[in-house]
Amino acid sequence: MIVACLDIGSTWTKGATFRVDGETVSLLARAARPTTVVNLADGFFAVLGDIVEGDPLAQLHDGRLSLQYSSSAKGGLAVAAIGLVPEMTLEIGKIAAQSAGARLSQVFAYHLTEDDIAGLEASPPDILLFAGGTDGGNTNYVRANAEAIGRSSIDCEIVYAGNRSVAAEVGRLLAGKRLRIVDNLMPVFNEPNPDPARDAIRTIFLETIVKGKGLDRIMAATGAAPVPTPFAVLEYTRAIHAHVPEWDSFVLFDMGGATTDVYSVHQEMPDLGTVLRGLPEPEVKRTVEGDLGMRVSARTTVEAGEPEFGDAAEALRCYAERVVAQPEFLPLTPEDAALDTRLAAVCVGQACRRHVGRLATIYTPDGEMKIQTGRDLRQVARVIGSGGWLARAADFDPAPWFAQHAVDARGRLVLFPQHFSYYRDADYLFPLLANLARAFPAAAAQAGIRLLQD
Amino acid sequence: MSDITAVLGVIGSDCHAVGNKILDHALTAEGIKVVNLGVMVSQDEFINAAVETGAQAILVASIYGHGEIDCDGLRGRCLERGLDKVVLYVGGNLVIGKRDFAEVETLFRGMGYDRVFPPTVDLKEMANLLKQDVAARS
Ligand code: B12
Repeated sequence: MIVACLDIGSTWTKGATFRVDGETVSLLARAARPTTVVNLADGFFAVLGDIVEGDPLAQLHDGRLSLQYSSSAKGGLAVAAIGLVPEMTLEIGKIAAQSAGARLSQVFAYHLTEDDIAGLEASPPDILLFAGGTDGGNTNYVRANAEAIGRSSIDCEIVYAGNRSVAAEVGRLLAGKRLRIVDNLMPVFNEPNPDPARDAIRTIFLETIVKGKGLDRIMAATGAAPVPTPFAVLEYTRAIHAHVPEWDSFVLFDMGGATTDVYSVHQEMPDLGTVLRGLPEPEVKRTVEGDLGMRVSARTTVEAGEPEFGDAAEALRCYAERVVAQPEFLPLTPEDAALDTRLAAVCVGQACRRHVGRLATIYTPDGEMKIQTGRDLRQVARVIGSGGWLARAADFDPAPWFAQHAVDARGRLVLFPQHFSYYRDADYLFPLLANLARAFPAAAAQAGIRLLQD
Repeated sequence: MSDITAVLGVIGSDCHAVGNKILDHALTAEGIKVVNLGVMVSQDEFINAAVETGAQAILVASIYGHGEIDCDGLRGRCLERGLDKVVLYVGGNLVIGKRDFAEVETLFRGMGYDRVFPPTVDLKEMANLLKQDVAARS
């Protein structure tokens, strides 16, 4: 079976053809071209032509070739999340959106203010995920927020995944808007239920967003439907966990010019004597940081790293100014390369810091007690770097940054991986293999791990 | 059947778990919906749970003798976070040593708790008081 896999990124459209024989995968061809933002289909079909011999569409139609593709172009899939308490329904909303492959464009807790509404009117996301309250729980905030949205001119898809006691009322208040009502993302206190909201986001992506981004032309010509790139990668993470021995837990960084994504698979097994606080953690988790990236987000990356730069701060600020508008910039001098590496350490380090949990030691009359919030990745033994920069960086190692930041400002332990082997997706094939995994999860998972470099 | 939701937990660094389970059973048996946060619960966790679940009452337990420190300030925090009607109860071994209960009661009422209970409290009676207090508030 020959499968063409393509990923339309914000700057590059990449593609590869793979031959799959049972569990073995071989790479037949690969190509990349600049993404054609005005019409994504142009770049897509050019790359498809590069990686397939003969007429790809004819081969697709007679079944000799199959196709899987993903897109993160044109801002990816932007979701704004509204929850009630930040650590609760808003947090689950963020998890649902990020695991659907979305980028969080805005987040809101408690009451939406006039400014919040104005912000949403001025730059509406693709989808507004609206939640709050357990079933039978709080209704005041949800009702007030529904009224505010109903009165506004916010124009986007809306998914309601809040307290079902007011679902019908929300339906009335938002009559005339493009609204979908799904099961509450926290029906019972502390029991997250992100999947219905996640599924709704995916369905909307397929039914409407694809069209808005001009992907419908590709769909019409090929008969195949795309997924958001991070969604494919999250599912690929799950496939590796399921199909590759010894890879049941690991962390994957995908660092780009604009964002840094962190994926982890891990089963929480707290020590005896450790009390877990906060929401239960999902087994597979993605977080994405929109302010951490090597080019478009260089300025905010420098801000995030500022406190630790010392004398180098000024040089890094200037460097960020230079690269921020040049997504393709590659450092040519050793000085620039060194600055680039510092930026990368901040992206990976800070993104991981936000992804992992904390362990606080408290002293009770009974002696020491441990309180853990978030996920504990200390025992995770494998870490992968992917994305253009990390794919190339043969000498990069995130371990020193983690070690230097192992304790936070409040004296809590930051639960980074502690002793791990670091691998590199040197050919930057993960987004393409993630597409292959949609059809052949086990084979693609094994191939990806085999192709990694130490 | 009442539709009262109450958030329950043992505050601070207190890990005494037994009384918490008994309270959960007793309140559930009285038809009260219990959101039990277990032991070692911070003030904000009580409030977060009450906000999301729309609970009308928060029942704070303190067993290990540090209640005076742990329980203070909860009322103010509730007001701050928009829980202006919530009924606040506190009970357990609230202070260290043998202090006169009337004195303890005055102390905790001064902190804004609606009712203060000694360890010997009859839980059925307490549940009835809770229903009355919630009805009076709404
Ligand atoms: C078992 C126990 C422990 C176990 C707890 C195991 C566990 N995970 O549950 C362990 C050994 C860990 C322990 C540790 C400590 N303990 Co201890 N412990 C006890 C003991 C013997 C029994 C507690 C119990 O389960 N009682 C049974 C339950 C059903 O009763 P209850 O908890 O009081 O709850 C009932 C009522 O109080 C009431 N109630 C409680 N809260 C509320 C709230 C509301 C709103 C209402 C209406 C009612 C209500 O209803 C409950 C159900 O009937 C008591 C002594 C005793 N006999 O009570 C000491 C006792 C509670 N412990 C005490 C102390 C000091 C400690 C330590 C500080 C000692 C130390 N230095 O090691 C540590 C603290 C640890 C910590 N971080 O919390 C003291 C507290 C003194 C005080 N408050 O003045 C006690 C009273 C012993 C004593 N006489 O000195 N303890």
